[in-house]
Amino acid sequence: MTNTVKGLVKALALGLAAACSLAAISGASAEELSLKGKRIGVSAIGTDHYWDLMAFRGIQDRVKELGGEVIALDAGRKDQQQIAQLQTLIAQKPDAIIEQLGNLEVLNPWLQKIRDAGIPLFTVDTATPHAINNTTSNNYNIGAEIALQMVADMGGKGNVLVFNGFYSVPVCKIRYDQLKYVLTSFPDVKIVEPELRDVIPNTVQSAYSNVTDMLTKSPEKGSVGAVWACWDVPQIGATQAVEAAGRNEVKTYGIDGSPEVIKMVMDPKSSAGAVAAQQPYEIGKTSVDNAAKYLAGQKVPPFTFVPSVLINKENAAEKGKPFLDAAEKAGVK
Amino acid sequence: MSATVLHTEVGVSHEKQAAAKSAGRRFGALVVRLGAIAAFAAIMAYFVIFAPGFTSTFNLINVVEQSAILGVLAYGMTAVIIGGGSDVTEGGIDLSIAANMGLCAAVYATLLSMGYGDFLSVLAAIAVGMAVGALNAIAVVGLGILPLLATLAVLNVAAGMELTLTQNTVVGASSPLLGLLVSGSFLGISALAWALIVFSAITIAVIHGTAFGLRLYAVGGHPEAARAAGLSVPFYVSFTYVLSGFCAAVASILTVSRLSASTPGSGELLLSVLAAALLGTVFSRRFVPTMGGTLLSVLFIGLLANGFQLLNVSSYWVNGVQGALILLVVAITSFARGSEGSR
Repeated sequence: MTNTVKGLVKALALGLAAACSLAAISGASAEELSLKGKRIGVSAIGTDHYWDLMAFRGIQDRVKELGGEVIALDAGRKDQQQIAQLQTLIAQKPDAIIEQLGNLEVLNPWLQKIRDAGIPLFTVDTATPHAINNTTSNNYNIGAEIALQMVADMGGKGNVLVFNGFYSVPVCKIRYDQLKYVLTSFPDVKIVEPELRDVIPNTVQSAYSNVTDMLTKSPEKGSVGAVWACWDVPQIGATQAVEAAGRNEVKTYGIDGSPEVIKMVMDPKSSAGAVAAQQPYEIGKTSVDNAAKYLAGQKVPPFTFVPSVLINKENAAEKGKPFLDAAEKAGVK
Repeated sequence: MSATVLHTEVGVSHEKQAAAKSAGRRFGALVVRLGAIAAFAAIMAYFVIFAPGFTSTFNLINVVEQSAILGVLAYGMTAVIIGGGSDVTEGGIDLSIAANMGLCAAVYATLLSMGYGDFLSVLAAIAVGMAVGALNAIAVVGLGILPLLATLAVLNVAAGMELTLTQNTVVGASSPLLGLLVSGSFLGISALAWALIVFSAITIAVIHGTAFGLRLYAVGGHPEAARAAGLSVPFYVSFTYVLSGFCAAVASILTVSRLSASTPGSGELLLSVLAAALLGTVFSRRFVPTMGGTLLSVLFIGLLANGFQLLNVSSYWVNGVQGALILLVVAITSFARGSEGSR
């Protein structure tokens, strides 16, 4: 064997070794995430909605996957209970706290106390200056996409019934503001005043009767073109009301991607026009990854967006299925 | 003659039987009551041994703080049950108390956000609370409607008014008084915990230390006898409903301080308030509601949630255990009533 060949082999071997070690390094950094011996407190305002439940589960499953211990707290939609749980949680001194949704005005002083106690705070879908990272969907995108889909389906003109009961919830504010911004380019699309108010609980029933009343008030076909809500539970009631009133020219639009609504959009006869489907389970998991990275001393950005998918009448059959499969896998109908 | 003898003998044996039966039931009730208290004690002992950090002063003060709002409301409910009698269907009950607190909180927070000072806003909240209490009193005492139904109707009135006022939104609030309640502390005990301690002391002193309190028990326990003794039953019963409204107003201020806002959904507290007032009867030998008993059960409910969290047991269990205990206590109470009834 000549020297050159020897050298070549040597170089190849070295290169191979280097490549292997590089792969090993990158593999290690992916596997490096670990929460072994760590306790992570998780506080959610409620889990009665599909989105909330899936995100809550995603957080818990991921913490366990990474070998950590979860202290999981569901406040059952009671502010008092969530505050009491957070207060006790601070005393428990977990390695990190992940907080999921709730009333920001109520929460902020307590989130501040979490930071004052030296506990790293991460949030899911809750923009607050006290969090190290907020993991959420890109609600700016979602808001614009669903609004544009609606305008396109309406042919650029007509009246919209808008549910605006939760403007105080940050993600709803963004989506509503995006709707308004899109409509500035389409002056012939008008929001019917006064706006409707979605409520919790009895969201579906209340939306059903609100929309029925409005359709009765404007009986001519075509006088209402669409119904919009910043989440998709009012959309269920609205869709049922439109269909019950036989006003199939009206289409409904919402955000979140509850399996029930995705099925409606997939049904060509249903009045559900489109829904922006988020990946709440992934969002929950990602927030845990961010916490794990932070605890391992890595840098974490102030927010992380998990992609969402606009499901409309055209793409529903193809794009909706993966979401329904995920829901079925999680045992949620 | 033989007939009379026979008759008396039958009568005596019947009486003996009844007495024995009643004594047996009373004994049974005693056993079950002590059993319930033992269960409470066992749960606490378990927490003390196994829940990390349960007995730390910091944690215990936290629990007192967390119990303040429920405690103040439960005192109002207890007063109504004492004055109206503890029959679950026909006796005194104030189902509107939690909704009333929501309304008062909404009034207080709205006035503060409109720029009225603490003094006026607190006064308005208390006036609204007592007015709702007075409405209950008119419905129950004046119109003679069953308290269960009357206060259910007023619950809806109060909840509706709160919705109208706030449009189902969160009304943020801040003021010097709220600041003091949130961050103030004295002797290492936070202001909210002090609020419960002081309010408890006053209530217990008034209801269990004065002739007025004694008369209130007389009115609730034996209204006919109280009337015969010259007590104005309507006055005392009305008083309890107005007091309950006052408690709702005080609790509303504590709520706004804790949540930095008035929020929808105060009505959710009703079940816990009822639970506290009913569970409290187990600490009384005659199964009557007492303020001390109510305080103990309020703290018990708070410690239950706290202990479960420290043990990392799912919070869903708290409701289940609370419900089971209520069922147990209500069963014991009706058991004890049964023995009184057969007497």
